[in-house]
Amino acid sequence: MKMLMSTTALALTVTASAATAETEITVWAWGSAAPGLQATVDGFNAQHSDIKVTIEQNGYSDVKSRVLAACAAGGAGLPDVFQFQNVEMELIIAQFPDCAADLVPLGFDDSAQSNFPEFKLFALQQGDKVLGMPWDSGPVMMFYRRDFYENAGVSLEDIETWDDFIEAGKKVQAANDGVTMINDNLNGGAEFFRMIGEEQGCGYFSEDGGEITMAQSGCVAALEVIGKLNEAGLVSAANFNEKIQNNAAGVVATQMSGAWMEGPIRNNAPEDQAGKWGIYEMPSVVDDGARAANFGGSLLAVAGNSDKKEAAYTFLSYALGTVEGQITMLKDQGLVPSLTSALDDPYVSQPSAFWGDQAIWQTVLGRLERIAPINGTEYFSDADQVMIATQTAFLNGEYDSAQAALDEAAKQVMFATGLPVAE
Amino acid sequence: MRLHTKTAYGFIGPYLLIFVAFWAWPIIYSFYLSFLSTRRAPWSFNPTMTWGRLTQDPAFYNALKNTLTILAIQVPIMIALACILAVLLNSSLLRARGIMRFAFFAPVVIGEAAYAAVFRLMFNAEFGIVNKALGSIGIGKIDWFANPTAAMALIILAVTWRWVGYNAIIILAGLQSIPKDVYEAAILDAVTPRQQFLYITLPLLKPVIVFCLVLSTIGSMQLFAEPFLITNVGGPGGATETLGLLLYKQAFLNLNFGYASAIAYTIAALALIISALNLWVSRGDDA
Repeated sequence: MKMLMSTTALALTVTASAATAETEITVWAWGSAAPGLQATVDGFNAQHSDIKVTIEQNGYSDVKSRVLAACAAGGAGLPDVFQFQNVEMELIIAQFPDCAADLVPLGFDDSAQSNFPEFKLFALQQGDKVLGMPWDSGPVMMFYRRDFYENAGVSLEDIETWDDFIEAGKKVQAANDGVTMINDNLNGGAEFFRMIGEEQGCGYFSEDGGEITMAQSGCVAALEVIGKLNEAGLVSAANFNEKIQNNAAGVVATQMSGAWMEGPIRNNAPEDQAGKWGIYEMPSVVDDGARAANFGGSLLAVAGNSDKKEAAYTFLSYALGTVEGQITMLKDQGLVPSLTSALDDPYVSQPSAFWGDQAIWQTVLGRLERIAPINGTEYFSDADQVMIATQTAFLNGEYDSAQAALDEAAKQVMFATGLPVAE
Repeated sequence: MRLHTKTAYGFIGPYLLIFVAFWAWPIIYSFYLSFLSTRRAPWSFNPTMTWGRLTQDPAFYNALKNTLTILAIQVPIMIALACILAVLLNSSLLRARGIMRFAFFAPVVIGEAAYAAVFRLMFNAEFGIVNKALGSIGIGKIDWFANPTAAMALIILAVTWRWVGYNAIIILAGLQSIPKDVYEAAILDAVTPRQQFLYITLPLLKPVIVFCLVLSTIGSMQLFAEPFLITNVGGPGGATETLGLLLYKQAFLNLNFGYASAIAYTIAALALIISALNLWVSRGDDA
């Protein structure tokens, strides 16, 4: 769950009512994850009426900064449970190993862990310890406006590769006045680069975290795709909130994002857009190439200094560890379950009216097993900052090729981290 | 120690305690931190990871260049505008003087987050009022957040808008402390208003203007909120990343407190040097 709703700084505090509450736990969560989690509280209290759950909603970057600041202060001010992005969890583990509690002694044993896919547990394991419970995942999907594509005579069968997507984009923009094919957070992020790179098996760092791999061929291909999209004038810059505004204004035909964007799109769309949206798989770089990646997706951790660890774990194991809890969040906010058994729930195969009666969750969940783990490492934001600068310079024509740009970026990351660049 | 001296220290004691705990100690501790490699717990002594990195880090040089660019362009423009504004606000021809003065001072009162949100809307490339207005006089679409030069211009515009009135009020106070008889004598000698401004007002205002320059220099060295809130955290691609923003990213996004401390000390040293330079260049018999 990555939600850049940092402007919603106003903390919206939602309190669960439980008449016989004895233990109170507080949770920090962001964006649409918070109301999603809130939706599970009634079901949880039906089983555990003695635990009262309070969920505090904040913007993504606010939760992140508050958690890091509290961890740096030795855990002072932390709630009992906090949300964090998987790809950034290594940062906490490297700097503040005691900030998140080990869940194994609380009951998160091998058999409980085996209910979650490997790529979600990857960042949480620290030796024998497991420092959080996987929440949702973010298979990358293309969310598109059926009507805009139809006006241009573009059908989804035509879009297999990014070159196909560019051809389709030219037609869509020609047929729909004032509509841009796709939005990327070009001015403040490297999101498409990370998504397409991962699709091509390339991240900032190698799987063991020991080498910088951002200049490898998969990443080069990703930057080349972004260059082509930009050159063809098919992509305009928008951060998360602006994407939602553009959707509502009907000036963008496609959004590429982790599947968790389903909820924000559906819940913010004007009524007349119902039935006009659809979903398809991300295009690949080459014919018959890979078409799956993960973007975003988070976990819930129990604070290392909480004196209500048992109660906190009891809530996590209901909200994240049962099919009932996970399907409640999928229905409410489109949070894609990490819990493997939730994927067999009948709700998953139901068509959705907003999405033009498409059974979207089947398409989304079909991607899950193809996703490979990516090691964020504690240097993730270092690499991300270098990449954002490099991407802008590349799009402004300051490099001869994507390879040259990424070689330079890898060198800078080497400098910041001391890790070697992979050959 | 005499009794009443002791009593006096007793009174300032609570303040001193807070000063030591929240000012002096962090300043000393961050100097110590600036020699540690803080990438992984436990932290270890390794100044090449902080001071060593500083001398060769392209991101640091980029932030330094951006900060100095803002300093060199924004501060002189703003102080010049503030002088002109102060003279106009001081004019006897001006009606509703109190309201006018407040109107120019008001931007300082407004929260940074609020005005940044409004600027983001106004300068939106597709629907913003600024591009619409420019379009109506034949100037093509400017992508304020995607073009590095335009983004820098936007930051300079925003900071100038926010602080010009504040400086104008300070200069206005200086203006009102200039004795009226100087001007009366000038009028008797048939000195034109323009000459009065250049040869009487400006020289007598010099101490106030230098004060504004030093304040603005320190402010520019610490510039953070505008590039954070308006141009996507120093975007596009670091084109508006200031030293303050780089410090924030290193400390609170990358958790690299050692390197962030080295940057903090560099900012403080630069602000000190540039302010001293201001004072030295403008030194004179009365300043």
